[in-house]
Amino acid sequence: MHRYMIRYSKKDPARYTAHLDLIRELERSMRRAKLPVAFSEGFNPHPRMSIAAPLPVGTEGLAELAEVEMTREVEPVQMVESLNAVLPPGLKVLEVAAISSATPALMAALERADYIVRLDGEDLPAPLPNAAIQEFMTRDCVEIRRRGKDGKEKIRDIRPGIVKVEVLPAEDGLCLRMELKTGSVMNVRPAEAITALFEHAGIKVDPADLQITRTGLFLAG
Amino acid sequence: MDKRLEKALRRVQKPGRYTGGEWNAVYKDWPNTGVKMVFAFPDVYEVGMSHLGLQIIYHAVNSREDALLERVFAPWADMEKQMRETGLPLFSLESRRPVRDFDILGFTLQYELSFTNILNMLDLAGIPVRRDDRATGVYPLVVAGGPCAFNPEPLADFIDVFIIGEGEDAVNDLLDACLESQRGGENREQFLLRLAKIGGFYVPSLYRVEYNDRVNLEKVEPAVAEAPAVVNKRVVTNLGEAAFPTRPLVPVIEAVHNRAMLEVQRGCTRGCRFCQAGVIYRPVREKEPQTLVRQAEEIIHNTGWNEISLSSLSTSDYSRIKPLVSELTGSQTAAGVNISLPSLRVDAFSVDLAKEVQKVRRSSLTFAPEAGTQRLRDVINKGVTEDNLLEAVSAAFAGGWQAVKLYFMIGLPTETDADLEGIADLARRVLERGRRLSRSPGRIKVTVSVSSFVPKSHTPFQWEPQDNMDELKRKQAFLKQRVRGRGLVFNYHDPEGSFLEAVFSRGDRRLATVLEAAWRAGSRFDGWSEFFNFERWMTAFEATGIEPAGYAHRRFEYDEILPWDHIGAGMNKKYLVREHRRALDGEITPDCRAGKCPGCGLCPTLEIKPSLAGGETVAPLHDSLQ
Repeated sequence: MHRYMIRYSKKDPARYTAHLDLIRELERSMRRAKLPVAFSEGFNPHPRMSIAAPLPVGTEGLAELAEVEMTREVEPVQMVESLNAVLPPGLKVLEVAAISSATPALMAALERADYIVRLDGEDLPAPLPNAAIQEFMTRDCVEIRRRGKDGKEKIRDIRPGIVKVEVLPAEDGLCLRMELKTGSVMNVRPAEAITALFEHAGIKVDPADLQITRTGLFLAG
Repeated sequence: MDKRLEKALRRVQKPGRYTGGEWNAVYKDWPNTGVKMVFAFPDVYEVGMSHLGLQIIYHAVNSREDALLERVFAPWADMEKQMRETGLPLFSLESRRPVRDFDILGFTLQYELSFTNILNMLDLAGIPVRRDDRATGVYPLVVAGGPCAFNPEPLADFIDVFIIGEGEDAVNDLLDACLESQRGGENREQFLLRLAKIGGFYVPSLYRVEYNDRVNLEKVEPAVAEAPAVVNKRVVTNLGEAAFPTRPLVPVIEAVHNRAMLEVQRGCTRGCRFCQAGVIYRPVREKEPQTLVRQAEEIIHNTGWNEISLSSLSTSDYSRIKPLVSELTGSQTAAGVNISLPSLRVDAFSVDLAKEVQKVRRSSLTFAPEAGTQRLRDVINKGVTEDNLLEAVSAAFAGGWQAVKLYFMIGLPTETDADLEGIADLARRVLERGRRLSRSPGRIKVTVSVSSFVPKSHTPFQWEPQDNMDELKRKQAFLKQRVRGRGLVFNYHDPEGSFLEAVFSRGDRRLATVLEAAWRAGSRFDGWSEFFNFERWMTAFEATGIEPAGYAHRRFEYDEILPWDHIGAGMNKKYLVREHRRALDGEITPDCRAGKCPGCGLCPTLEIKPSLAGGETVAPLHDSLQ
């Protein structure tokens, strides 16, 4: 088997494509590109392909990661070209690299994700003071409620997962850059971190107004 | 618009329904395209995107340089709320332009219970729902086509032009007329007169309708010379050469059917007497197997789908089905593409086909005997015997399937409790057969699904009343008592929806008021149980003084003027009367594929002939070969 890592972007309109639909879309695209994708065994064979960290619907991704196995070797440059010729609007492959079969799964190696969060002026009831951010970052503990897979609400401390928050210049409203832990060990969703931050600052914003872009995913080591 | 749209998209459950961006979507240069049309499907994205007709029309229009076709679907309740709150108008998926900016807005009428969505979509587009209120102001021409256009009358006050029959050629005539009308600087009135002269185009404002009392029509007649007394349906003469989408749109979110659709033939001449599709798609026209194999390859290549469905009514009737399936399983299955046959006849031959395409017996096989006794199957002219069914299920169980679904209809003309007993008996016999033949008898499952008979225009049963709801409920309860026990599953729908379908399928123009009242009171997505509110409908009937039973439960007389008499499906009304009488006498009428013309009158009226693969005009039925 030949393993490849794919770095791709997921922008408008594809940013509204949900995770499972994206997998199906990539599967069809690979078939359109006539790539020799490897399939699992069994009655219901599915392509040996995985996405490192699913993006929430509506969130833009500038450099997402996926990995795929092929039954024979394919030139990475050629894979970039043939995929880009058949991907629907909003999806674009930026880079393909062969990875050794000994490399752990991308999903397991994932450590951090960077985000840009924008909020229009009309959606921001009060300016967010820099001091509030600094204060927020000095807290030992940021507790949030998250609904688990069993449907039960759990209280979790996400503070260890918030690596960095900084304000970027914005013409209108607010623009924040955030580094958050992501992956199987510690995973913080951007909307959770932002909501906690605004709660801390005593400013009420509607999470649905947040315009979130994931700018990069980073692997451990 | 874009900011408002983005805000709305962040607040709805499935924004992918409104964003477009599908593979094979066509984006055209707006200012440099002569005529702009938007195809409106009055249901949610996932349903509309599963519809082959949309793909065909999309391809037919966008293949032209002087025209563009974009799409719009009914916004789900969460999106409607956002749109109404922010004033975001209904917009197309491709260019995200307001629907109001298009020259033509074309609705497809697939089922009666989507009618309120049409009004809602017009309203969300900022277009007055009634055509009289559109007389002043610039609005798109509102067109409608599809199966329910065969009785267009309940929608006549809302739609400018109906296109009766098949759309591939007709839509081109519509666009040509629009371009010519634009060049001539015509006003709306002149444009409508121009359209009324095109075959298959029904312009309801050009007809006078008079009623003689609360119940009957006195007359329906053209008010101008341009309008024909009868508007006959359009038929595509050469289906193999007709526009067929080999670059279909691939839905971005999982649609009801997310697979390639290959239409192998159009029409079914079996002549089941309740079936409107059999009438409106008549005569049978088969495509050549070579054409189909080529189209299958192209579609798979252009979409990346791994399933292709051979679609048509009663696909096993396609005279070259066996060689076609062998060819496709040879070429496509090897490439990892599955083939599905969604509409199969009830016989062993069909099960053999299913076996050939489905190497792994995942799902169940579905058969539609429609009625429980031979007597009633003869009444409805369903050419299926109990032996056919038992042979078919035997072949299925022996072939490894463990579940079969049986479709029946209740409330059919002349039905008695003995016919219902017959349904239960058949189900039990099928179950026994399965247990005897299967290697794991304990896992055999027989699902019985019953729907309620809805009389449809242009069929031999168009005069027949629907059972009242109490009677339908009694029959359902009767069956529920009998179709039970291990291995048997009984499914049915509440009869209220079927009742409304019957009202609208046999309705006239007077229903416009009740449709509007129900919509204004909040009715939408009536085909969806989570939205359907029958009480709201009954309130609307009361408020407008319309007695729905007069449409659904009344036996229409042979000599009365029917609301759809001025719409021609090609079959002679005298033939329908004869068929209705034969039905009551339990006389069957053979399929004209076998070579014996029963004289329905369609071919001479529409100047067309049945056409089979290989250039033959008639074919022996597979049944008669066995």
